[in-house]
Amino acid sequence: MITIIKYTFKEMLKKRAFLLVSILSLLYLSIYAFGLSRIFEHPSNSIYDIIFQSQILSAGLFFANFIVAFLVLLTSVNAISGEIESGTIYSILSKPIKRYELVLGKFIGLGAMIVIYSSIMFLSVVGLNIFMGSKITFEASNILRGLFFFDLGPIVFLALIIASSSIFSTVNTGIISIMAYGIALVGGVLEQIGAAMQQSQVGAFGLKSGESLINAGILTSLILPTDVIYRKMTAELLTQSSGISFMTQGPFGGMSQPSIYMFIYIFFYVVFLLYYGAKRFSQRDL
Amino acid sequence: MVLETQNLTKQFNGKGGFKEVTLSVEKGQVFGFLGPNGAGKSTFVKTMVGLLHPTSGFAWILGKPIGTVESREKVGFLPENFRYHDWMTGKELLSFHAELYKIKNPGKKIDELLELVKLKGHESKLIKNYSKGMQQRIGIVIALLNDPEIVFLDEPTSALDPVGRIEVREIIKQLKSQGKTVFLNSHLLSEVEMVCDEVAIINHGRIIAEGKLEELLKEHTHVEMIVSDYTSELIEEISRLSKEFQFKEGKLSFKVEDKEKIPIIAKMIIEAGAKLYQLNTQTSSLEDLFINLIGKDEVS
Repeated sequence: MITIIKYTFKEMLKKRAFLLVSILSLLYLSIYAFGLSRIFEHPSNSIYDIIFQSQILSAGLFFANFIVAFLVLLTSVNAISGEIESGTIYSILSKPIKRYELVLGKFIGLGAMIVIYSSIMFLSVVGLNIFMGSKITFEASNILRGLFFFDLGPIVFLALIIASSSIFSTVNTGIISIMAYGIALVGGVLEQIGAAMQQSQVGAFGLKSGESLINAGILTSLILPTDVIYRKMTAELLTQSSGISFMTQGPFGGMSQPSIYMFIYIFFYVVFLLYYGAKRFSQRDL
Repeated sequence: MVLETQNLTKQFNGKGGFKEVTLSVEKGQVFGFLGPNGAGKSTFVKTMVGLLHPTSGFAWILGKPIGTVESREKVGFLPENFRYHDWMTGKELLSFHAELYKIKNPGKKIDELLELVKLKGHESKLIKNYSKGMQQRIGIVIALLNDPEIVFLDEPTSALDPVGRIEVREIIKQLKSQGKTVFLNSHLLSEVEMVCDEVAIINHGRIIAEGKLEELLKEHTHVEMIVSDYTSELIEEISRLSKEFQFKEGKLSFKVEDKEKIPIIAKMIIEAGAKLYQLNTQTSSLEDLFINLIGKDEVS
């Protein structure tokens, strides 16, 4: 399995998609840095400034997260299916290795690269905010916890892609992954709106509609929990040890936080996907 | 036995593949697996190396049931539709496959094999810049990396020029001399005839002939004789001992299933007081045998 991990990692570095996303990321970070430099040009100490700055940070992380998801999809969609479609798999699986080793090896190899890339993106966005003079005080523990959840989302998405790629064709995996990611994103937005409606308490009608939107969001999180992890990340990053929360980040932030049960679900979600993908792949005729 | 199957069947939704194949291949043999396109040759090999799951039956490689990791430990395989990771260089590709076999310090072995297939000096090039013939050659290197006990070569010369084909033939002979077993899938009958000890012919997924090549060919020896002073009883007796018998004005033409019948018939002629002027024998080529068997199978 170590061989598969090593060569998957190498392959990803050599892929054109990786180069493309890297250029795109640099471009994004440059534009974001330019934007921040203008925003932080005239500092003030008003509370509105802090709220505004938390929104800017959250927007930066939201789009960085989006670019990471883009990279995960581009580099992993054909991880297994591409090997089958091209025929390179014949010379690999006729060797004395088990099929699950290929699935897990691909997952770990791609996962390692994605964690490195995702961490660079996260630390760059947060670092740029600190460097430009953000009023939000970041503690190391906030940053570390935020980083953990920022990296966890793409890993969960990767598990879905790898499982799908082990069972279906590249095209079908692409469709399944994009649809699942889109549903999770829309569901997440609906859940936020629901939570906002409940908080503003716009009468009994508002409360009921809010609740159904939250439920819809929870349901979509079960399909792909990337959005829920993203919201946990913003909460961890922006809730200070003093108890002060800067979680008022507009459309890119989180009004409602996922429960511990959701994280237990996420753990089993990843394990099940990898187990099921490897099992189905082992039963496949190649 | 290096390879053994018992009623092995692989079908796709009840169609295609191969049915109830019972074979055994001894150590050190070059075994030819012949058949027309779509007969089930590649499906059989892919089943043996664990890429396809059999529908029913049993098979073992070196005593280990197929589909297990252990059964693939001493196996080399060159697929028919060979494709390799084209983002790697030749050397990287070979190191990757050596690592999959868990070979420690494969450098010397890689160099030897590159020399053998005449790819030395090309190992730093990317696979995507290799010609198809070069890719097939590096495929042969991959198949031999682990010093296998049995090598499955599925159409190993399909992308090679005549010189390359001769070289592959030499490699097969060399493997045989080292006591290795070679399972050769091919529809190039002349190639098989030159290197194989034993063959099996498959058509529509079923084995229609199997055995030592010389035995199979011996069964189809064509004989021509010119005789005089014969009696009708003698001619009748000869016709009973042979197949496809033809007789016209002292000229006999027939086939015998066993070459040993030829001196018996000659003796009969002499003892009957007839004169034997000419005796020509011609053993069928594998191509004749193949066409004959496939043709008969199609009719039946």
